[in-house]
Amino acid sequence: MHFAVSYLRGKVIRYILVLFVVITLNFLIPRLMPGDPIINVLGEELYYMAPDLVQELKAEFGLDKPLFEQYGRYLVNTIKGNWGFSYHYMQPVFEVILFRLRWTLALLIPSIIFGALLAVFCGVIAGWKKNTWLDTGLSSLFLFIYAMPHYWLAMLAVLVFSFHLGLFPLGGVSSGNLTSWEHVFDVLHHAILPLVVLTVFKAAYDFLIVRNSVISICGEDYILMAQAKGLAKSVVLFKHILKNALAPLVTVTALQFGFMVSGVLLVEIIFSWPGMGTLLYDAVLSKDYPLLQACFFMVAICVLVANFLADLTYAWLDPRLR
Amino acid sequence: MNIGKITNIAPTGRFGLAILLIFTTLAIFAPIIAPHDPFAPGRPFLPPSPEHPLGTNDIGQDIFSELLYGARISLLTGFLAAFVSVVIGTLVGITAGYRGGLIDEILMGLTDVMLIIPGLPLMIILAAYLKPSFWNIVIIIGLLWWPGTARVVRSQVLSLREAGYVEASRIMGAGDRWIILNHILPNVMPIVLAKFNLAVAGAMLTEASLSFLGLGDPMAKSWGMMLHYAFSRGGFINGLWWWYLPPGLCIALCVLGFTLLSFSFEEKTDPRLKRILER
Repeated sequence: MHFAVSYLRGKVIRYILVLFVVITLNFLIPRLMPGDPIINVLGEELYYMAPDLVQELKAEFGLDKPLFEQYGRYLVNTIKGNWGFSYHYMQPVFEVILFRLRWTLALLIPSIIFGALLAVFCGVIAGWKKNTWLDTGLSSLFLFIYAMPHYWLAMLAVLVFSFHLGLFPLGGVSSGNLTSWEHVFDVLHHAILPLVVLTVFKAAYDFLIVRNSVISICGEDYILMAQAKGLAKSVVLFKHILKNALAPLVTVTALQFGFMVSGVLLVEIIFSWPGMGTLLYDAVLSKDYPLLQACFFMVAICVLVANFLADLTYAWLDPRLR
Repeated sequence: MNIGKITNIAPTGRFGLAILLIFTTLAIFAPIIAPHDPFAPGRPFLPPSPEHPLGTNDIGQDIFSELLYGARISLLTGFLAAFVSVVIGTLVGITAGYRGGLIDEILMGLTDVMLIIPGLPLMIILAAYLKPSFWNIVIIIGLLWWPGTARVVRSQVLSLREAGYVEASRIMGAGDRWIILNHILPNVMPIVLAKFNLAVAGAMLTEASLSFLGLGDPMAKSWGMMLHYAFSRGGFINGLWWWYLPPGLCIALCVLGFTLLSFSFEEKTDPRLKRILER
């Protein structure tokens, strides 16, 4: 147990350091950019129309105080959950984001799970039957999907399945005015297409890794031994090969979590899904900088949590750390 | 790169190279091939016809001509951003691996932090604060895409530093600069090339994402900007597929080309991979 604890402690220290760097970046970026930082908080319209508000904000942020003091105040505020105020939504950004985060996680978490399962399933088949037409076909397909912009595949899916086949709604999250059970099914109906698109992407990220690790495991001596013992093919495949192919997948899921989040954010925009992606898009269009920075901070927190969960899983999977 | 080396790479790598050669040719000769000036307005929202092979956009610009000129901006952004990131990554990797000690720890600590910070949201903030311009996009992507290269280069340098011929030249009195230029750099070049190709692919996708959000240079028509306009000005809502499918397909094909090329470089540098493939 001792090894696992010191391993995890090292990781946690690193994650706290990363969080610190992200907060510092958020503090420095508006102050390093040309122009008055207040203009970035208020937006141009309010900046010129409400000079008293500008004075008030200057005092509140302590912009006349030394940079070091401003930084201390910023750190304390961020930790307290006081992430700034969006003058676009007339609401504290923390509240705006927390509401939207649910909808993003509702797409993100299932698609990561289903995507990993799909990748394992296809990867094991392709690796087991390597250099057959099945392997070549699966590899080419996933590699091509890997190369697409996420949001473009989403556009393609909408074109085919919503426009032409009419199987799914064009976007949004609900048709509204429904009773409770109908509402749940309605939301699920809206969620299927974005979920499928994201699942396919996650599978494309993981497929080659599973396939290659299956191929390299197949050459190990213990597999030859298992086969020589006369174990059934299915036992070798599931007990010996699959178990060993899963470990790299955990690491990769953590490493690629950031990419996956970016993908979700962009895909949401296509489906007008009311998560952080559409929020980010609106924030870019309306130049709502406090909201943009809070989104960055929130995504960073999610990435760190995901990495920590992966570390926990790894400590649990790896017998050397147990 | 000579012909012998090109025929030496795996068939998949050659396929990737072929895709890229086609797109590079189209990009270079865009003014000759394009039937119209991509900036000249005309009749809007025309469907595909012999006059306009892919129809026209919301202000009547010929989409096929836009696509050809878009190859220039998208490929150039990818190349330049990847170049910036690979140069930074190689410098950091060689310094960390060769110097070792405290410098190594500081540089690799920085690399790990950069690796874990979500790139796209940070790039969105930077691009939103700065003015949307071609060079800003190149610099933003380049400055944030180097950590992967740095890590790989460092681990190669660590083993190269202990190699017999490096020890020998050190004993013969060769300086650090000479060793790095003559022994280290040539030996990390294959992996740097592999990383460069992957970085171009990544940079092209990132440029497409930033431009799609409306953060690209409005004067430089990239494929990402075409998708942005198609999405925000009614092309997507009205199902005008000839407007938004071609630019995305071009991005996907180029990214595929660079990825395949990078795989074939990696196979050569990583004997483990080669062993796997020969099995």
